[in-house]
Amino acid sequence: MSDTTAPPIDSYNPRAPFLDELFETDGRPREVARALISELERIGAEGLTEVGRRRDATFLRQGITFETSGEDGPTRERPFPLDLVPRVIGGDEWRTLKRGLAQRIRALNAFVDDIYHAREIVREGIVPWRLVVSSPNFARAVHGIRPPGGVYTHVAGCDLVRHSNGSWKVIEDNVRTPSGISYVLENRAAMTQLVPQLFANYRVRPVDHYPQLLLRALRSVAPSADSEATVVVWTPGSLNSAYFEHAFLARQMGVELVEASDLVVRDDVLYMRTTRGLERVHAVYRRLDDDFVDPLEFRPDSLLGVPGLVRAYRAGSVAIANAFGTGVADNKAVYHFVPEMIRFYLGEEPILENVKTYLLADEEVREHVLSRIDQLVVKPTDESGGKGVTIGPHATERELEQVAAAVRAKPEAWIAQEVVRLSTVPTVGPDGLLAPRHVDLRPFAVFGERIDIVPGGLTRVALQEGSMIVNSSRGGGSKDTWVLEDGDDADRAGPPLADVSSPPALPEMRYGDAWTNQQQQQQQEPQ
Amino acid sequence: MHFSIRYLTEYRYGSPVSDNLNALRVRPATTSSQRCDEFHTRIDPEARVTRHLDYFGTEVLEFGIPTGHDHLTIDVRARVVTSAPPEPPHGPWSALTSDAYVEAAGEFLLPWQDQPPIAGIEELEASIRTAADPLAALRLLVELVPDTFEYRRGATYVGSTVSDLLAAGAGVCQDFVHLSLVLLRRHGIAARYVSGYLWAAPEDEGSDSLEVDTHAWLEALLPGVDGRGEPVWVGVDPTNRRFAGETHVKIGHGRFYADIPPVKGVYRGGSTSTLGANVQMSRLDPQAGARA
Repeated sequence: MSDTTAPPIDSYNPRAPFLDELFETDGRPREVARALISELERIGAEGLTEVGRRRDATFLRQGITFETSGEDGPTRERPFPLDLVPRVIGGDEWRTLKRGLAQRIRALNAFVDDIYHAREIVREGIVPWRLVVSSPNFARAVHGIRPPGGVYTHVAGCDLVRHSNGSWKVIEDNVRTPSGISYVLENRAAMTQLVPQLFANYRVRPVDHYPQLLLRALRSVAPSADSEATVVVWTPGSLNSAYFEHAFLARQMGVELVEASDLVVRDDVLYMRTTRGLERVHAVYRRLDDDFVDPLEFRPDSLLGVPGLVRAYRAGSVAIANAFGTGVADNKAVYHFVPEMIRFYLGEEPILENVKTYLLADEEVREHVLSRIDQLVVKPTDESGGKGVTIGPHATERELEQVAAAVRAKPEAWIAQEVVRLSTVPTVGPDGLLAPRHVDLRPFAVFGERIDIVPGGLTRVALQEGSMIVNSSRGGGSKDTWVLEDGDDADRAGPPLADVSSPPALPEMRYGDAWTNQQQQQQQEPQ
Repeated sequence: MHFSIRYLTEYRYGSPVSDNLNALRVRPATTSSQRCDEFHTRIDPEARVTRHLDYFGTEVLEFGIPTGHDHLTIDVRARVVTSAPPEPPHGPWSALTSDAYVEAAGEFLLPWQDQPPIAGIEELEASIRTAADPLAALRLLVELVPDTFEYRRGATYVGSTVSDLLAAGAGVCQDFVHLSLVLLRRHGIAARYVSGYLWAAPEDEGSDSLEVDTHAWLEALLPGVDGRGEPVWVGVDPTNRRFAGETHVKIGHGRFYADIPPVKGVYRGGSTSTLGANVQMSRLDPQAGARA
């Protein structure tokens, strides 16, 4: 098999009309990628295959895995598929992205505050009230509550795609509990171990200060008067698909990882149980949905969560990141209005564009969309992670009929978008050769006293040829994302926090007794 | 009318429980036809009570008892003066689509979230459609619901759905209201769930004190006279075949029961509890005696 030693690049053909981020349309490497491509050629196809094997073995050993739910079988653990070819973003380009993201997140935060208070954007006729109140994520229980520091969207992950004309567009906002940051950090660590030679000619901006940024943001909003704020990470438990990330972040920040049974509210103050007794908690980075945080509020049929937590939050004794009720802002119909929010709240023009979106509650728009549904992407408004998305050009006749029927039955629960031609980045195939694969980008922003964005973010890649589904649960992989250093280090983290002390250990014992609820039916007899 | 109300709830637990957290929505509201003059709560074991207004404007009292206890008593007393609401306005069906109406209606026009189809509701729906105007639809509704369903305690429970009521053919006021809300909203009439107390004395008896229960009725938004003027929320009691009047003492409203439960709580501990809840209502007006 002499041809496996051939350079992996020879056969690379960018797929017009898609933009390739490392190659020109004529197949020559872009200037910024030349040194990188040369190194990859030196490693060769066989070398890349070999490195890939080492990577999988390491990831499996470290538990950096995820579950795939195949259509034809049960879920199984696989090593998280990190592609060995990084994506490269220039310093200038990143500065624009960063400004655009910070602007967007400020507007989303202002929107959440407005919706739970004065509703000015509704009164001005910009966002329809009906759209807000019909969202299952509109949290009436936190109406009128302003969290510490006025920050709601502490952690945001906006999904970006790059169009064939080179412009970046936001495709989706995630301001509830976006996940994926642990892969950004692990990918970088793995790349510097596995293929250190690729970094030789580049000054790549670091990403490993994210946990410090997050901890600093959480402390900055924590209502602790004199003492050091106690921060915890709240996970729904080890069965959650992102548990690895919850544990990772808690460990990296040096704070306790807790579950509901470790927490208790007494007199509107949140405590965690430790071997020394109850210890007050000032800030919670929670990684579970509103529905499961407090059985006294939200879902009346749920007994999960920490009873009284919303009381403590209302009393201002604890910061919750992200705040309750932020899901009202990342609804996909609300997304349509984000450019207007930026103009309304900030008085600025949006730096990043939206993808052209159609709201289907309007009958005329709906009929227009249904007449060309085979050319559009149809998404449910309140799902995330690519759930329920139908991509017109790739769907079967039957799938299109089903989604059309679903849209007609409940138009306000759906939106349609023009298909975006996702850019490609060379990706290593099973044969060690490079082929273009479509990518998106999820940068992670942290909002405390200010907004910090880790350079780059999670580049997700669709590993199947021609596919644009990048979600890891549906066969997507990821890439290390390089933002190149060019002198501007305004968003550097600063010195590491010196006071990351080891947290007190929780007792092994958990509260044994389950919660019970008490309610009375209304049953006055008729006269 | 002038009432004193005592709402007493007592839980006894089989073995001690802890972290007993409760939220009460029991205070009579002050509205254009009702005034709450006095209001007291007593909790045993003793607990600090905090208050806030919820999204729908109802006062919520919250308390928690952290340490072990085997009983909980919630003793609420109030004095209220009510007056008869004005005559409901007559407006045409066509006024329901006006901007003024839709804006006033807000979320009380929306179907429940994720509400599955309700089998067997079509016939009831069609009956409402025969009414000449929205006010006539309400008059029809207050007969239709109790004509179709039997009032029977135990036929349903606190979490029952409209489908449960239809399947059982019977239910309590909470269920009657939920069904009525669905029927009205489907015809474009905004409607909201009302929780409160009802002076349930038979008209021809002059009793001045009664043991009652918390009661549920609804408010429907009627367009103004001739479709002009402000839309008006009108109280309707499908359990008692009439419009709400000065015998109805409102606590507050919501989209459905779960927005305004009188007592909602959780406690730690698996022990079963026995509940005793009763509402004692007394008429304080001097004319009460005169009528007897």
